[in-house]
Amino acid sequence: MSLKQDYSSSADEQLVAWAKDGDSEAFEELIHRHRDKIYARAMIMMRNEGDALDLSQEAWVKSWQRLRQFQGESTFLTWMTRIIINLCLDQLRRQKRMRAESIEELQEEVGGVERLMPVEDAKPTEGLESEEIRRRIDEALGKLTDAHRTVLVMHEFEGLEYKEIAKRVGISIGTVMSRLFYARRRLATLLQSLKRERLE
Amino acid sequence: MKTIELALELQAFVDGELDVRRRGEVEKLLATDAEARAMVAELRELQELVRANEPVVLVPETREFYWSQVQRRIASAERREERTGGEAPIKSMQWVRWLVPAFGVAAVAVVLVVPRSSAGRLGAASGFADLGDPVSLTFHSDTDGITIHWIN
Repeated sequence: MSLKQDYSSSADEQLVAWAKDGDSEAFEELIHRHRDKIYARAMIMMRNEGDALDLSQEAWVKSWQRLRQFQGESTFLTWMTRIIINLCLDQLRRQKRMRAESIEELQEEVGGVERLMPVEDAKPTEGLESEEIRRRIDEALGKLTDAHRTVLVMHEFEGLEYKEIAKRVGISIGTVMSRLFYARRRLATLLQSLKRERLE
Repeated sequence: MKTIELALELQAFVDGELDVRRRGEVEKLLATDAEARAMVAELRELQELVRANEPVVLVPETREFYWSQVQRRIASAERREERTGGEAPIKSMQWVRWLVPAFGVAAVAVVLVVPRSSAGRLGAASGFADLGDPVSLTFHSDTDGITIHWIN
């Protein structure tokens, strides 16, 4: 069995251990395994291929530099995802995209019409193929503001608790709850309208 | 839904963010309030739908090309670190950075300002001379007694 085959059949933990000793081939195997997931997270948050590629590569560089700090408290992928999300948050802040529009802030304060509307049809994607559902969700996510999408992604895809999101984004728990609720209502509405567009 | 506060409480219930007491209160409400039940059902359904259908996006580059780019960045970061001797020393010697431009300007002035000599005259009181060299340009001023060479 060649070394190359060893890499491809080794667990992440083993590859991390080798990479910590300076084995770049082990690190390359880790990148190969998880690069799509890391890129996808950046792409969903940034909505821009150039930014997503740049930030995902930056995340791997940071990972290589900080590998010794990774003690295995979580999986390697979870650790990597944390790095890419932090890079995306930094980039969104630099681009001043994390500030909610003033009209939205007002809506968040008083509760816009949309959030108090009647409950939506709960099955906006009924009968659709999985690929189509993913595409629609991605399209709807793209229509949310960066501030709303960020909170939704961190909660639904990363499984982070309110207080963890609040800490990492730098907002109050109340704002996390409010943004999350608004994002979900918008998402439900967008999925509904996508369904209607298809039926027409 | 009557108030936004109640809606957020129901959402927190769905997200498992409530303590035992508040969870109990929401459960009591759900037993009697059909609208609240519908809201919770919708939130759960949407949550399941989104979690189960995370968009899939693939890196639009080959394994080799992507790796080569990461490698290049790592090498560049390491070179940068070597040049600066690591982050900590740089921070403790921030003041040295202010001296670099000053020394740079002084050095350029010494090198470029050449005392006038009759052998080096360009024939005019002042002006630029193209000496046929594509990477350099010379300025000479009789009045100021200087000759300056730009090297690209």
